[in-house]
Amino acid sequence: MTDDEHETTADPTGDEPAVSDGGTASDGGSIVDDDFPADGVPDTPHGDDHGLPPTHSIRRWFVTTNHKDIGLLYTVTALFFLIFGGLLALLMRLELWAPGADFLAAGSYNQAVSAHGLIMVFWFLSPLAFGFANYVVPLQIGAKDLAFPRLNALSYWLYLFSGILMGISFFQGSTFNGGWTMYAPLNMPVYTPDIGGTTTVLALILFVASATVGSVNFLTTMHRMRAEGMTLRRMPIFTWSILLTVWMMLFAFAALLAALMLLSSDRLIGTAYFAESSPGGAMLWAHLFWFFGHPEVYIVFFPALGAMAEIFQTFTGRRLVGRKWFIGAMLLVAIQSFVVWMHHMFLTSINLEIKTLFMATTIGISLPFDLMVFSLIYTMLKGKIRFKTPFLFGFGALVLFILGGITGVFLGAVVLDYTLRGTYWVVAHFHYVMVGGVTGLVGGLYYWFPKMTGRMYDETLGKVHFGMYFVGFNLLYFPMFLAWETPRRVFEYAPALTGWHQLSTVGAFLLGSSFLVMFYNLFKSAFVGEQVEGQPWDFASTAEWTVPSPPPLENFPGVPTYASGRLEFEDGGSAQTDGGAVHGKAAALPGSEVTETEHGGGESHASIWPFVLGAGAFLVLLGLSGLQRGYFPEGTMGGVHIGTAIVGGVLAFGSLVAMTREKFHGPEGPFGESWPFTTVENTKLGLWIFLASDVILFGAFIGAYVFSRVAHGWTDWHHLIPEAHVVLPGLINTYLLLTSSFAVVIAMEFAKRENRLGVVGSLVATVGLGVGFLINKGIEWQHLFHIHTEAFPAGWDPGTNIASTTFYVTTGLHALHVIVGLVIAGYMIFRAWGGAYMGDDEPIEYFGLYWHFVDIVWLFLFPLFYIV
Amino acid sequence: MHGGLLLQVAGQLEPDGNRAELFGTIFEVFLVLGTAVGVVVIGYMLYNAYRYRDDGTAPAEETEDIGRPTLGELPEGGGHGRKLLLSFTLSAIIVISLILWTYWALLYVEAGAAQPAEPEMEDGTTVDVTGYQFGWQFEYPNGNTTDGTMYVPEGERVRIVVTSSDVMHNFGIPAFKTKTDAIPGQTTSTWFGPVEDGEYTIKCYELCGAGHSYMTGTVEVIDAEEYERMFVEPMNSTNASDGGTERVDPATAAGGSSAPSVGLPADGGVATRLPARTAATEGVLRA
Amino acid sequence: MSRTKLYTAIYVVLFVLATAQAVVEQAGYLEESYWLAFWAIMVLSAVKAVVVAGWYQHLRWEPRSLTTLMLLGLLGAVALTVAASYSIL
Repeated sequence: MTDDEHETTADPTGDEPAVSDGGTASDGGSIVDDDFPADGVPDTPHGDDHGLPPTHSIRRWFVTTNHKDIGLLYTVTALFFLIFGGLLALLMRLELWAPGADFLAAGSYNQAVSAHGLIMVFWFLSPLAFGFANYVVPLQIGAKDLAFPRLNALSYWLYLFSGILMGISFFQGSTFNGGWTMYAPLNMPVYTPDIGGTTTVLALILFVASATVGSVNFLTTMHRMRAEGMTLRRMPIFTWSILLTVWMMLFAFAALLAALMLLSSDRLIGTAYFAESSPGGAMLWAHLFWFFGHPEVYIVFFPALGAMAEIFQTFTGRRLVGRKWFIGAMLLVAIQSFVVWMHHMFLTSINLEIKTLFMATTIGISLPFDLMVFSLIYTMLKGKIRFKTPFLFGFGALVLFILGGITGVFLGAVVLDYTLRGTYWVVAHFHYVMVGGVTGLVGGLYYWFPKMTGRMYDETLGKVHFGMYFVGFNLLYFPMFLAWETPRRVFEYAPALTGWHQLSTVGAFLLGSSFLVMFYNLFKSAFVGEQVEGQPWDFASTAEWTVPSPPPLENFPGVPTYASGRLEFEDGGSAQTDGGAVHGKAAALPGSEVTETEHGGGESHASIWPFVLGAGAFLVLLGLSGLQRGYFPEGTMGGVHIGTAIVGGVLAFGSLVAMTREKFHGPEGPFGESWPFTTVENTKLGLWIFLASDVILFGAFIGAYVFSRVAHGWTDWHHLIPEAHVVLPGLINTYLLLTSSFAVVIAMEFAKRENRLGVVGSLVATVGLGVGFLINKGIEWQHLFHIHTEAFPAGWDPGTNIASTTFYVTTGLHALHVIVGLVIAGYMIFRAWGGAYMGDDEPIEYFGLYWHFVDIVWLFLFPLFYIV
Repeated sequence: MHGGLLLQVAGQLEPDGNRAELFGTIFEVFLVLGTAVGVVVIGYMLYNAYRYRDDGTAPAEETEDIGRPTLGELPEGGGHGRKLLLSFTLSAIIVISLILWTYWALLYVEAGAAQPAEPEMEDGTTVDVTGYQFGWQFEYPNGNTTDGTMYVPEGERVRIVVTSSDVMHNFGIPAFKTKTDAIPGQTTSTWFGPVEDGEYTIKCYELCGAGHSYMTGTVEVIDAEEYERMFVEPMNSTNASDGGTERVDPATAAGGSSAPSVGLPADGGVATRLPARTAATEGVLRA
Repeated sequence: MSRTKLYTAIYVVLFVLATAQAVVEQAGYLEESYWLAFWAIMVLSAVKAVVVAGWYQHLRWEPRSLTTLMLLGLLGAVALTVAASYSIL
């Protein structure tokens, strides 16, 4: 957790600055130098990159924590998943060549449908955007790296391993085959019994962990580490789109995590959240999923919008029209995205009042997009438009998005939605929007490719790609509007529609093959393309273009500042040596005399532990996937599963410990602007942001309880609970937790007064009380498991009914939080015994923030599950 | 301005019947307006992209003083703010009035789906539908049930109350433009008709498992009096279903045959029943 | 030292409030007037939560932006719970 990052920032390693000789040549001097190495800094002979191996070394990519390397890894991995998801789509299109299951079996078709959706939405779209975000955002805001570089690497490794886990699920009987929306109760093991289905759910959990770690990291960075003068309002539009995206991710993915954890509990332990016997089960899933799912649409689309806006500005040579309105519109959408989710549920049993309300919010959220579209269009006026590949894709994306938007208005009219729902109208609409977004991101890929590689792509091939892409796209998706009466996710359709579907299939192959052109172009150009300087595009204005391509490890030749209204590097001369010569690329760059200063040195860039931690988490989940109804399969397979989980657990735990012991020095803010968290130190802010997402996680668990109870009849609930379930154990546990919170506060006071024994004593008390909490809970659970009453002859276990399910799982999640807290506290006792924290109560304070949060959660669980 | 015009159209559309016609009218209006807006906006885009293409003149030679973005500047907005807000307002008016206009139709559709205050006030009939993997079961006012084929009276409106006995399904009859979710533990209701004589297809619109593509059924429109005798009047020996002749086996369904069609209910004992499912669904339907 | 005293006083208050919640149940108020007692118990929980967050987590002394951040999360969770529950009423 973020706590770990803090432990080690205090003590930077010895191999810090010392960059003043060899490395600098590649920074400043190479800009006008033809033989500037494509790989940038690492190829230079000085060989001291803070322990980071050169780029041609495989080892580098396993240990790197640098945001630019991580950005490349994200981009390449995401493109791999594009191929994976794309091939599945081609299989579907082949199947749809003619009505009937003539190519794939019915089950296989459902697998392809489900996995295509999941992979494209989770493992391709967002990660591609995050490749750019990783690469570009720190440069645009003037930061040397993200706030927590190792957590950034961890995000990537969790992402990659979650994708591998998803791939493995295909070989465990069948991957999840109930659609990407994973509706209940089809997602229950009764209906989708294959282990692969469980693995898919666990892979998603791992992905969400990656996204949450990433959100915390980006939010801390973007709020705390902006250069002087780079206020929030002045941030470049792409950075703005990412800021809002990560805010949405923080909250939306927490809700998805809750949904997935409840589902895993159903699949692994045999609880009954989404069972058809739970009166609100199917609706509960729909609510949780879409509460996440609608913001997810914008999470996926915003970065594309941001990239399009940057591309429009650069290639039209105009500033974005109505920039502040554009930002305001995005902000409005980001907020509103959390109150439109039920428009995905208009045909379910929700009442007319709520339908009306959500129809209104849905209209509300469509309007800001009108503004953004017009803003982009008007940006072209009086421009000097150059139809380079990035602009073609950006422009094409806007056209596609307009078509997607217009067809979306149809769905906003509830009465039309009643008929269009579940048909290819919906399929076509959201592909125009989502793949429209992909189009914008592909534009971004061409746009930033020279920055990332230092070489230019082949323009002709880029244009060929666009031509094939745009024609293929419309050939693929437009016929779907015409064949809209086809139900979604079927392969049996009315023979009259065969022609449209065949056209669509042809388009799919054209679209798919256009990417072959792109891969060839980019792969070849990355090695032999024409070398570029810092800024290959006229009129590009953002900070990433002021540094060499690719930028040196520490990004800037000095401390970037916008205090004068323009980017300048302190101790490094002006970024704008000649204000008038906007066309001179080199003129806009720092002079070659620039030398690296102490500001540039000191950060660590290498750690293997994020990778090991990712691998450990992967093995744990792979092992757990075998669990069904609380039991591992009999025989060897069970042993393999258990063994895998244990090995993974050891790896994960070991790497966490190693990360806290490792000496690692990340960049610390503030560097200028850090509103609105000016006085909140990075680690503390990261922890608070994480807790905010945890609020949603617990909130969704409690919400699931409230919803299930309402569906059952609130005051009838008591019939589902045995008499033996009484207030007292809950009350005792409330006392225990409150006292332990108090003990942490006292520990802080002792630390301030440098009383070692006092600190150790109060931490021991905290742990003791926490352990007491768990023991008390254990006794209570044992008792309830084994009661024999008339109503519950076979005991009251997690799977007995929806009341027992909500009770055990919600308080169980809380107990897990307690256990994590105890492990951290145990580690801190060990440290305190050695004399840590004397006069430095911050680590104890941060632990306290977490521990008090766990306490607060219990303050609500106690009345909800023990009293009312 | 726009709004007033649309309200007038809404007046003409004061709905009095068929959902399919209602859908058709609204869909058409949306299609025409949507196409018009699309053509205008995209046309305008293309025109400007062409007009302001880079023709090779250097910025210094530009006649007007146009501020171009420069490297390292703090981002700021370009002009045309008024134009932007104007177009935005215009588009907002179009979208809001369009959707509000359809809200009338929504209320009309919802009213038809709602439970009538008194059973006698109901015009037409109510059929309870239960989806299962992979077929449909229908229960009529007198308790008779059929499987795979839904019988409805000609010229009357049919209200349907839909649920599921296993996973989520979605009951849809494309010809009538009617559709509603079948959710276990919940009921939804909607309606269609009045319908003309004929046979129509029922489809499932929610992925429900391997047999989803084949989960179809038939609507058979029969003479209203016949319907009354078979499915509304209290059951007796002449119209009671014979209890358990056939049930749709998911395996055969997945093999390609759609649910078996039962013959015309002339001889009394035609309706098929699902003995295995009845116990499970009875409670839900009757609740 | 006064800090320690303040923290101790807060601890006593929390202890008492938790006991009060159990008392409400034991005294049978839930049977008597369910919803009144329900909201009384929930308000007691909310008060305890505010006290812990404000003093033990020091939100009182932090920039308001942190409080806003947590309230945003809470708002989202409450919106989900209330709207979802209302939708099936």
